[in-house]
Amino acid sequence: MNPRRAGAVARRIVLQFRRDHRSLGLLFVAPMIVLALVGALWGSPTLSTVHVIAAGNVDPQLYAALQGTQIELKALDKDAAIEELKAGRADAVIEFDQNGATVTLEGSDPSRTSAIASSVQAALTELIIGAPLSAAVKVEYVYGGPGYTLLDYLAPVLIALFAFFFIFLLSTVSFLRERTSGTLERLLATPLTRIELVVGYLGGFALFALAQAVVILLFTVFVLKVQYRGNLLTIFVVEAVLVVGAVSLGLAISAFARNELQAVQFVPLVLLPQVFLSGLLVPVDQLNDWLRPLSAIFPLTYANEALRSVMVRGYAITDPLILRDIGILAAFALVMAAAAVASIRREVA
Amino acid sequence: MAGEVTIAAPAVEARDVRKCFGAVTALDGLTLSVGAGEIYGLLGPNGSGKTTLIRALAGLVQLDEGELSVFGAAPRAAVASGAVGYMTQAAALYVDLTVEENLRFFATLEGVTDVRARVDEALGHVDLLERRSSLVGTLSGGMKTRVSLAATLLHQPRLLLLDEPTVGVDPALRREFWQHFRSLASAGATILVSSHVMDEASRCDRLGLIRAGRLLAEGSAAELIARAGAGDLEAAFLALSEAPA
Repeated sequence: MNPRRAGAVARRIVLQFRRDHRSLGLLFVAPMIVLALVGALWGSPTLSTVHVIAAGNVDPQLYAALQGTQIELKALDKDAAIEELKAGRADAVIEFDQNGATVTLEGSDPSRTSAIASSVQAALTELIIGAPLSAAVKVEYVYGGPGYTLLDYLAPVLIALFAFFFIFLLSTVSFLRERTSGTLERLLATPLTRIELVVGYLGGFALFALAQAVVILLFTVFVLKVQYRGNLLTIFVVEAVLVVGAVSLGLAISAFARNELQAVQFVPLVLLPQVFLSGLLVPVDQLNDWLRPLSAIFPLTYANEALRSVMVRGYAITDPLILRDIGILAAFALVMAAAAVASIRREVA
Repeated sequence: MAGEVTIAAPAVEARDVRKCFGAVTALDGLTLSVGAGEIYGLLGPNGSGKTTLIRALAGLVQLDEGELSVFGAAPRAAVASGAVGYMTQAAALYVDLTVEENLRFFATLEGVTDVRARVDEALGHVDLLERRSSLVGTLSGGMKTRVSLAATLLHQPRLLLLDEPTVGVDPALRREFWQHFRSLASAGATILVSSHVMDEASRCDRLGLIRAGRLLAEGSAAELIARAGAGDLEAAFLALSEAPA
């Protein structure tokens, strides 16, 4: 391993990339645009007023009780109420009888259905106990709090996802270009070794990946004002280990593509399973028995766990869980770097 | 075989070298030897195995059978020691870097210590000093070939492997190239060059005629013409390569 030669490769990549203003711009601006959109989507409390129609005879007392809560009540007859529901102008129809109440929901969107059902149930409970639910049941939080939005919970995962995605795509296509343009063959006919080549690539790309990681992190924390508890430096360390793994993975994956179109098609294959199974959408412990082992092989699973623990729960870098996750991510980076070295064969034809 | 690069050994020694790519036999028991300081021309039709031999000498091909050595060492060891300069058929350069940046990069990989001086010298040899700050992507095909040659000369290799080096180069510059090759050979460098261009082939000390991965005939241009009973090298080339093996 000759550091001068590896350094020359790293310097060359920095030089090439610095000249590619568009890629450089996209590397920093694209994550911010996407994060800003996600921030606008998930950064505010999700459920607004629920529009409920009380069908038939409505007890005026009930009517008065429900007004001014999260529920907006309106009285109509049953058939007209159902029509309103179908047309999407109402969220629920309540019909009272001697046994209690029947709540009818539109029902096609499961998450919306459960959100509406729970706010209607909460309102009815309030009515029965004669006081707001919050007065009877006091909720306390270990982490987070009533002010926490979905964005606060998802931001750590999004940071990992974007850092991983952009740099993986970039290193895959760049190295593929090296393979297909004939320069790889030319490099291998110099004293440069395959390890020096991969180390050089890691060095060059890590520089941009880390700069991007800083930008994403600062944007998330200071512009989107995501709430975080842990140390920013710890977050950065986790991100850094993750992106080095992403570069290595990109170099190795480029061996399986013959052209840039094919390389881009590998992106959903590598990324989407991680989006679904790494704890971004569904917590890993809620995955079924055969999906859970699958999630264990994804680097984003560990990055998500670590970043969420640091940002939402305030874990320190010395926490065994964080150390373990960083260790696994480092091991992943090392294995992928070895795979990248193995994927560079002198015999190209 | 995989030992140190030695001065006394022939520059290139191939003994019964065999290489198949799937069903295609690229080299089929090729044997040849090139002495130090010689300019040896590889002649042969497309697909005859010239490029495979050159790539094998650059340490890029794993042989199926036979022995191949460069200055008495395995090709990769010779390349790693900086003894070999390989110029690919199509210029392998970074189009988004300048001429100078490309050359500095390759010079560093080859372990050149006085990078600036060597880059200037190589640029002078290929007459590109004024284009040093141009992006390679903006150069003409012939200019790229010149940069590619310059990149091969930077570390003053003792063996130059040139795969059709003058494709796309105009006649005047081609003559300059050959003058430079000759002066390198006089200074002790060995040059193995593949070519289709007969006037170029006639400038070599010795020629090897290759067909279907085998050496058909070998000798100076005059010897080959005499052996084929032909009027010129081109006729000799056609007569010898069409003769039954």
